[in-house]
Amino acid sequence: MSANEAAVTKPIPVPDELTAPFWEAANRGVLAIQHCAACERYIHPPEAVCPYCQAQELSFRQVSGRARVYTHTVVRDNITRGFAEGEPYVIGIIELVEQERLVLVANVVGVTPEEVEIGMPLRVTFERLTDDIALPQFEPEEA
Amino acid sequence: MDEFSGRSAIVGLGYSKLERRSPRPLAHFAREAAEAAVADAGLKVEDIDGLGTIPNIAAYGNTGDLEGIDIVTVPNMVQMLGLEHDIRWHVQTPGLCPDTIMAAGAAVASGACTYALVWRAVNVPKGRYSDFSREKAYGGNQFRAPYGFNMPAAWQSVALRKYMHDHGSTREDMAAFVVQNRENTQLNPKAYWHGTPLTVEDYLEAPMVADPFCLYDCDIPVDGCVAVVLASAERARDLRQPPAYITGHAQTTWPTRGGFTDSENMWEGGAAMGEKLWASAGLGPDDIDVAMLYDGFSIFLYVWLEALGFVGRGEAASYIASGATALDGELPLNTSGCSLGEGRLHGMAQISEAVLQVTGRAGARQIEGAAHTIATVGAGTLASGGLIFSREARA
Repeated sequence: MSANEAAVTKPIPVPDELTAPFWEAANRGVLAIQHCAACERYIHPPEAVCPYCQAQELSFRQVSGRARVYTHTVVRDNITRGFAEGEPYVIGIIELVEQERLVLVANVVGVTPEEVEIGMPLRVTFERLTDDIALPQFEPEEA
Repeated sequence: MDEFSGRSAIVGLGYSKLERRSPRPLAHFAREAAEAAVADAGLKVEDIDGLGTIPNIAAYGNTGDLEGIDIVTVPNMVQMLGLEHDIRWHVQTPGLCPDTIMAAGAAVASGACTYALVWRAVNVPKGRYSDFSREKAYGGNQFRAPYGFNMPAAWQSVALRKYMHDHGSTREDMAAFVVQNRENTQLNPKAYWHGTPLTVEDYLEAPMVADPFCLYDCDIPVDGCVAVVLASAERARDLRQPPAYITGHAQTTWPTRGGFTDSENMWEGGAAMGEKLWASAGLGPDDIDVAMLYDGFSIFLYVWLEALGFVGRGEAASYIASGATALDGELPLNTSGCSLGEGRLHGMAQISEAVLQVTGRAGARQIEGAAHTIATVGAGTLASGGLIFSREARA
C-alpha cells in the first residue's frame, strides 16, 4: 500500500469487468461513459446489455465533462468513516449534457451547500484517491 | 380481473410488541407474532403447513445477519413452533413482503398447502443505520459509496428535492402529511409513536438528515414482527375472522438504473406496477375506500398517489394538503400511521392495516363500509409490490 492509499478513508471503488474502462479513463483524467453503437445512447452505470435496445456491443466514449445539477441532497447525518468529518456535504445527481437523464452520482465541490441549485452548470474535475483510482467530481462551470 | 383474484385470503393477523433496541432476541418477537396470527385465525399452530418469510436484514451497511438476532428464517420458525413434520410448502423471498404474500396466496389457492404463515421480523441494528465504513466498494456501490451516497435517506431525499423543484411543493406541504399521519397514529395503540403527537413546527424544526429530508421524513426503526395467516377462499369463509380476500396483486421488476439516482424511475416503475395491479383486480383508483401506501420515506406517498392514478402527476402534495386523505376525506390514507407512525416493519404495517380496514377490525380509525383497500410496498422500482384486499371474494 502506498502512502497515498494509507491516507484514504473513503470506500475505494473496485473496478470489475463492466466498469474497468470507466475507472481506467478516470485515472487519466478523462470522463468516459459506456455507449451503445446500435441505438447511440449512453449508459451509466455500465451494463452487460443495453437497457434501451438490448444490444450487446457496447464501448466507452469520452464525453465533454459538462453537466448540470439534476437534483441533490445536503447530507448532515452520515456516520460513515470519511464523510462524517466533512459534513455538511453535497451529493449531486449529475446530468451530463450529452443525453437527457444520463445521470451519475458525484459530490458538488468548490461551492457551499447553500449555493447549489437544480440546473446549475457544472464541469468535471477529478479527486485522486489512490495511485489507480481517481473519482470524477463536479464543480461550478464558471469557477 | 385475473384468475388468481379472490382465490385466497388473509384470515389471521398477529403483532409482536414493537420496541427499540430490545434486549430480547428477534426470534422471540417472531414467535410472538406468529402465535398471535394463528390464534387470531382460530387455528392451532399444528394446523400450519406452509411458511414464508423475507429473511433479509432491514438495513444497509455494517450490520449483522445472525439467526434469531437479526433475522428469523424458515428453519428457525419451524424449530420454534415444533413443525418439523408438518410443513408441506415454504419459501424465503429476499425483497419485500408482497412477493411472499403472493406466493403464499398461490400456495393455499392451489392446494400446495392449507394454511400458510407469513412473517416479517425486523430489528434496529446495533450501532447505526447506513454505516458504510468499508475499505472497498464493489458492484453498484462503487458509483455511490465513495461519494457518501450510502444512506437510504440520502437516496430518497434527492427525489423530494426534484419534486419540490418541478412541482412547486414545499416542506410545509410535506409537514401536512406527516402531521396528519401522526394524528392517525394516535388511534393505533400498537404504534411506536402512539402517545407522541407531532406538530407542523416539530416537523419544520427537526434535525435535517439529508436535506430536504428531516428526521420525520424517515420511518421509525423498531424491533418487531408482524405475521399473517393465509387460506384458500373456500376455507377462509369458515374461520374465526372475516377474510380479507386478495383480489389484486402486482410486483414490479422496474430497474432502478444506477440505484436511486434518477427519481423518475420510481414514478415510471410505480405506474407500470399500477397497470398490472388494477388489471388483476378489475378495479381502479375510484374503487378504493382506504389506501395504505408505502411510507418508509415520506416522498413515497407522492410517488404512489400519482403513479397509481389517484391524482395526476405533480398533484399529490396539494391533494394531501387539501385534507382529502384525512380519516374523513375522500381517500383516507395510512390510517394506522404505517411506517412513519407505527414502525419500520418493511411493508407489513401497510398490509396489516389494509386487512384490518377491509374486515372492519380497525377500531377507532375504522372507515365505515370499506369494501376495497390497497397496500403498496417499496419505492416503485425493483422489488416493489402491491395488493388489493376486498370484503367479498370477487371484485
